[in-house]
Amino acid sequence: MRRGIVIALAMVVFAGGLVACGADDGSDDGPVTLRWFIFNEPSGGPQKIAERCSQQSGGQYEIEFEYLPAEADQQREQLVRRLGAEDPSLDLLGLDVVWTGEFANAGWIAPVPASTARTVSANVFSSVLQTARFEGRLFTVPIWSNTQLLWYRKDLVPTAPETWDEMIDMAERIGPARGRIQIQGNRYEGLVVWVNQLIESAGTQVLAGPTEVRLEEAATKRALEIVGRLSRSPVAAPNLTTSNEDSARLGFEAGNSAFQINYPFVHPSARSNAPEIFEQMAAAQFPAVTAGTPGRPPIGGINIGVSAYSRHQAEAFAATECLVKAENQLEVATLGGLPPVREDLYDQPAMNEEVYPGYADEIREAIRNGAARPSESPAYQDLSLAIQRAVHPTTKIDPRNLDPAYEELRDNVEKAIKREGLL
Amino acid sequence: MRNRSPRAYLASTAALLIVLFYALIPVLWLLSLSFKTPATVSDRKFIPQDVTFENYTSLFAGGLDSALLRPLINSISIALIATVIAVTLAAFTAYAIARLDFPGKTVILAGALAIAMFPPISVVGPLFDMWRTLGLYDTYVGLIIPYLTFALPLAIYTLVAFFREIPWELEQAAQVDGATPWQAFRKIILPLAAPGVFTAAILVFIFAWNDFVFAITLTSSDSARTVPAALAFFTGDSQFTAPTGNIAAAAILVTIPIIVFVLIFQRRIVAGLTAGAVKG
Amino acid sequence: MTAVPAGRKASRKRGGPAKTSDRTKAERKLAYMLCAPAVIVMLLVTVYPILYAIALSVQRVDLRFPEESGFVGLDNYVAVLSSPLWWQDVFNTTLITVVSVSIELVLGLALALIMHRALFGRGLIRTSVLIPYGIVTVVAAFAWFFAFDPSSGFVNSLPFIGEDKSWFGDRGSAFSVIIMTEVWKTTPFMALLLLAGLATIDEGLYEAAKVDGANAWQRFVKITLPLLKPALLVALLFRTLDAFRVFDSIFIMTRGSQDTESVSILAYNQLISRLNLGLGSAVSVLIFIIVLLIAFAFVRGLGTAVPASQGEKK
Repeated sequence: MRRGIVIALAMVVFAGGLVACGADDGSDDGPVTLRWFIFNEPSGGPQKIAERCSQQSGGQYEIEFEYLPAEADQQREQLVRRLGAEDPSLDLLGLDVVWTGEFANAGWIAPVPASTARTVSANVFSSVLQTARFEGRLFTVPIWSNTQLLWYRKDLVPTAPETWDEMIDMAERIGPARGRIQIQGNRYEGLVVWVNQLIESAGTQVLAGPTEVRLEEAATKRALEIVGRLSRSPVAAPNLTTSNEDSARLGFEAGNSAFQINYPFVHPSARSNAPEIFEQMAAAQFPAVTAGTPGRPPIGGINIGVSAYSRHQAEAFAATECLVKAENQLEVATLGGLPPVREDLYDQPAMNEEVYPGYADEIREAIRNGAARPSESPAYQDLSLAIQRAVHPTTKIDPRNLDPAYEELRDNVEKAIKREGLL
Repeated sequence: MRNRSPRAYLASTAALLIVLFYALIPVLWLLSLSFKTPATVSDRKFIPQDVTFENYTSLFAGGLDSALLRPLINSISIALIATVIAVTLAAFTAYAIARLDFPGKTVILAGALAIAMFPPISVVGPLFDMWRTLGLYDTYVGLIIPYLTFALPLAIYTLVAFFREIPWELEQAAQVDGATPWQAFRKIILPLAAPGVFTAAILVFIFAWNDFVFAITLTSSDSARTVPAALAFFTGDSQFTAPTGNIAAAAILVTIPIIVFVLIFQRRIVAGLTAGAVKG
Repeated sequence: MTAVPAGRKASRKRGGPAKTSDRTKAERKLAYMLCAPAVIVMLLVTVYPILYAIALSVQRVDLRFPEESGFVGLDNYVAVLSSPLWWQDVFNTTLITVVSVSIELVLGLALALIMHRALFGRGLIRTSVLIPYGIVTVVAAFAWFFAFDPSSGFVNSLPFIGEDKSWFGDRGSAFSVIIMTEVWKTTPFMALLLLAGLATIDEGLYEAAKVDGANAWQRFVKITLPLLKPALLVALLFRTLDAFRVFDSIFIMTRGSQDTESVSILAYNQLISRLNLGLGSAVSVLIFIIVLLIAFAFVRGLGTAVPASQGEKK
């Protein structure tokens, strides 16, 4: 009897396990279920086009969603844990543009077949396509992009600044009561974006190859000088060292800021949350480091990868081809304001009228000039953590003595690409 | 004994107010945030200007695919299953320790104490690696097993303390009447032990309900993700907008059952929390 | 159902020589049968994984670079112990532990005395202090995070606090908020343990001391504190080891930035973010060793007996 109870308990425990494991696989009849792991895009755009593609597939596949957290770092943690476990239940992956190298190198995503690659690359911005490649091969398929613009207050700033120094000068003239600059300075991926774009705009890069550091000294110091100057300026947001995209948006909507560097979501947000400020809000290009050269805005967005452990890779690539079709990109742009990766779509009248009222061309230009982060590195995560640790808090960077900051950044990056030590 | 002067009453009232304020302020703040609209969420005011239920309803929009429903079901089921199993196993052990004579008692109790102090982060790496090979990764079982481990010491200590208070003469009487130790355990002791078992169950439930480390490392989809881990999955109006209102609403929803529990069973919880510790 | 004074049930006696040895054997067999499932489950998730962690920690295992695996001896430990980051995080964790446990001890004792002495509303006080105990740590962390958030929190609208104070923007204030959250959440536990300890103290002692002319402070120092010592030490031991594991609140509030990272966050970053199981396991094993040392120091240095020892004495 005692033994009976123990056995019964053991059975309860293991039956639970069987139910949980066995629920997965469908039979061969009917459409194949493709599971798309992506963060829950609030506009519902991805869901809509997935449904459309499932219908159009004529019973070939049916796309289902598995949601990832909202924050990019956490999305990645969820995905890599599953892929590290060689989990076959993942088919389509919504990948941040910077994960391509890591995922491709680890063998977690399948390279895009040549015929698909040709179809999905047509008319796509070359800056965006670069984020989808690893060692010269296309491993992911861009579905939507994203980029940052300089948002400013028309009533405070008659003409938008072209360089960072110019912007800081203008802001300091307005004063901290209304002239603050909102940017992303917390210790997270957003800070890497800022620093990387400055380094690119100053004329160098973080990496020269997947495992080779570039970071030319003069240019890197020029970039760090701007980071230090802005961080120590009275017009820096008081929460600069903890700020992210959303706190920058809130800061700008609160009315004490003349500038913010942010993604286009801030425009509709201001319309509904801060109508008076929205009236005065205008968009310009991401500032440059040196006058006369274009700024190098960041490239964000999502690329679709097909899991190397998926049992339905052919269907998954077919679904990918469908999802990135022009009309579907337009749908996602209309519903959620996510910038298409196809350059030709910006000529559609709806883009400049509804999706990005009056600034569709700014977005196109920003993506065209955009510079990707060093996503070809197979240890991008280590690299990103190392950059974050080197420059955060940005207030520690002394614009008059840049040697320590430069050394620290270079050392950290060198260690990171060798994947040495704790991070 | 006690000083019943007006000053003492005043002091008692003040103490009461301070304690209430201390305990409730963050809960009230969450409650306030959970009723605010996106436009007023950063107004810093304690009383919401426009009250909305949107933060709550949107958590459940879409039924089982919604942000909160599945995690809530998972949380409740996992915590309940872990509680039932932990308390059952602990009751066996506690009975043996409180009642039977056998060598190794101290070893078990000391071992349980050691496990209660064990740092969970030290085992998440190996557990993750073991679970992915065993297929327990992202399943109920994969969470229930570690919860059992870390809840058992708590349950055993609580139950040992309670079982020692049971009038064992009754059991002896039953044994004189010819009952086996097992029958005595089942027929006499279990009914008497029920309150203690119940207390242990509450404590274990709160423990499992509370966990975060295992929940974020050993799950990766809605099939086993619990509420504390699911809070990270909420999205605001856009990818970059913080879902403050939704998080606050979900936080309130998982806090209410605990507050109700506490209100109903506070004596038991206090007794249980202190049972094992003070008698040493 | 409330706590019963220690020693009341010392008189129970069983299994004397009068019993037959068959009976004893049967009893032992039953005892082992009853204990086995719980013991197995407890070992399954602690001893085996910790051995497994030790095995991983002497290998190079990075799930992102599967082909590079191999035995590396103590290299991972060398990498951890020679990293300033590890020592920084050990310091941070120790700081959080020492400061929060000290504050909890003082506050908890005050709360326990209030509950013990309150003329009315005791039930209400007890209920309210149980709320922090019951609240999910992540929820508590979010609640305080939202309260201190400079753009939406109410704290910055309070008098004497700068409108723009960025609480999580510098180390001191970020630590303060993290410690405050820990204190808020766990003081009730401390208070309840101490309250139970207070209940075991004979009121007559106070009366006698009053007659002898001792003032309230003298009574507290000479009677309450010494008699409360066992409860105090147990509470301290539990809370110290619990505080050393601090993870949830830091994860929610700063994710370790502004130098507020704890050793648990460090292990998480290596294990889960980087999937570097070798390096991460070395960190895990070192944390385990530190916890062992703390527990050992408490048990030896402060003479805390395992609370169960009386079970063997009978």
